[in-house]
Formats: sequence, structure tokens, C-alpha cells
Amino acid sequence: MILEFFKMGGYGFYIWLSYAFAALSLIFLYYRSVKKLNSVKEIEYTYQSEKAENLSISAQVNRF
Amino acid sequence: MFGIFKPRTFFNLANTSLFWLKIILVFALIAGLILALFFSPIDYLQKDTVRIMYVHVPSSWISLFIFLIIGISSFISLIFKLRVFSVYAKSLAPIGLVFSLISVVTGSLWGYPTWGTFWSSMFVLVLTYILYVSLWSFIKNYNSAEKVTNIIGILGLINIPIIKFSVAWWNTLHQPASITLTAAPTIHSSMLAPLLIMFFSFCILSLIIFLIRYKYEIINFRVNKK
Repeated sequence: MILEFFKMGGYGFYIWLSYAFAALSLIFLYYRSVKKLNSVKEIEYTYQSEKAENLSISAQVNRF
Repeated sequence: MFGIFKPRTFFNLANTSLFWLKIILVFALIAGLILALFFSPIDYLQKDTVRIMYVHVPSSWISLFIFLIIGISSFISLIFKLRVFSVYAKSLAPIGLVFSLISVVTGSLWGYPTWGTFWSSMFVLVLTYILYVSLWSFIKNYNSAEKVTNIIGILGLINIPIIKFSVAWWNTLHQPASITLTAAPTIHSSMLAPLLIMFFSFCILSLIIFLIRYKYEIINFRVNKK
């Protein structure tokens, strides 16, 4: 019965290939988008950390 | 007039709604796939290949609809000089490209066992999307890229009615549309339900990816400015 389901009346190749192509393309697009967002977030985080560090150094310098 | 479209609106939406959108997506996708693969009846003529429709038709609708938004955004960006609209268009383009590719591939895989030939009317739209996305990648100056892609976005709008109505205007292998905005659907409810649920799932997925890409574009713009 399970085999019959996968065979889809003899058209299984076309049907499963369609669903697989759609799933893989969309998963690829999603992960690529998330990866790009994370990379740019890291850059912004580094920049803000550096900025905060510079501010604390200048505050210390001012105290002297 | 365009107050609701200011950059922060979608940026805040991305921060607050992504989790819930993902939950809705999972439930809708599971329901859609179960209905499409297990409960939907086979077509008397196309047999089981009709199940490809549940991926092909929503992908075609979404890719056409996304290009319509890109065209309108490009027009507003070009005329009113509102940069945020070109950011919307830029964020949407890769999503539209992937859905148009899915539409072409699944359309061909549906066409071959049904008509004996690989056939799809969406090929022109794929080429337009490729041109649009490539221009954003290749032109390094943001202002120039914005202008050129806006023009491509507006010109590409011509494709939309041609592709949408080609199945009705010309006598091709493709059957006429079963669902239109002006008349009752000619498709049985047992097939209509999974089709609409799959369409809804793909819409939610598109929105999730759009919000992620939009957030990326805004942060990237801010980083580059520094």
C-alpha cells in the first residue's frame, strides 16, 4: 500500500520530483536569506562593540 | 500618503511577527500537503499528475503577484523618489525568481506526462526576474542600480497580463484557468481546498522570507553608510 502511494499510479517520478524541487528551492532561499541577515548583523554588532569600547576609553581618558 | 510604508513599519514587523508566522506556516503547510497528497481525488483525465497543480499553480500566482508589486514599487520609487520602495522590490525579487523557477520546472514536469511535451508559459517571467536580480548584483553604485532596476521593473509589468491571460487568448496546450477573479471556480471543492491552503502557505513563506531579506537590506544599508 505504501509502495502504491509512492508510485502515484505510475506518475510518481514526475510528482515527487516536482515536490522535491519546490521544497529544496524554498529551503535554499530561506537559509541563504537567514545566513545573509546573520552575517550583516555580526558586522553591525562588531561595529557597535568597537564604538562602545572607544567611548569607554575616551571616558577613561577624560577622567585623567 | 505613503506613511504606512516607512522603513520602520516592516522592520518592526520582522522583529515581532516572524515567530508566529513560522508557526502558522508549519500548520498550514502540513494541512495543505496532507490534503494534496492523501485526500485530493485523482483527475479523470490527468490521473495522479493533477497533484503537481498544488505546487505549480500557487507558485505561478505568487511569482506573478510579486512581479506586480515590484513593478508598482519601481514606479513609485522612480516617480516619487521614495527609496524604501526600491528596497521592497529588491527584497522581493529573489523570492519571485525562485517561485517562477518552481512554476516553470513543475509546469514542465506536469506537461510531459499530460501532453507529451515539456511546456511552460512562465519562461519569459523567469528571464525578467534573472535580469532584474542580476542588475542589482552587477551594478555596484546603488543609485545607478536603483534607476536601472526601476525601469526594468516597470517594463516587466507588460509581461504580467500576457502571461496571465495567454492560456485564454491563445489556443495552446495549456487548459484555460479554472479559477478567476470574475467568475465562480470550475474546480471541485475537494481540489480547491488544498489548492487554496497551499497558496496560503506559500504566501506566508514569502512574507517570512521577505521580512528577513528586508531586514538584511536595511541593516546592510546602515552598515555601508557607516
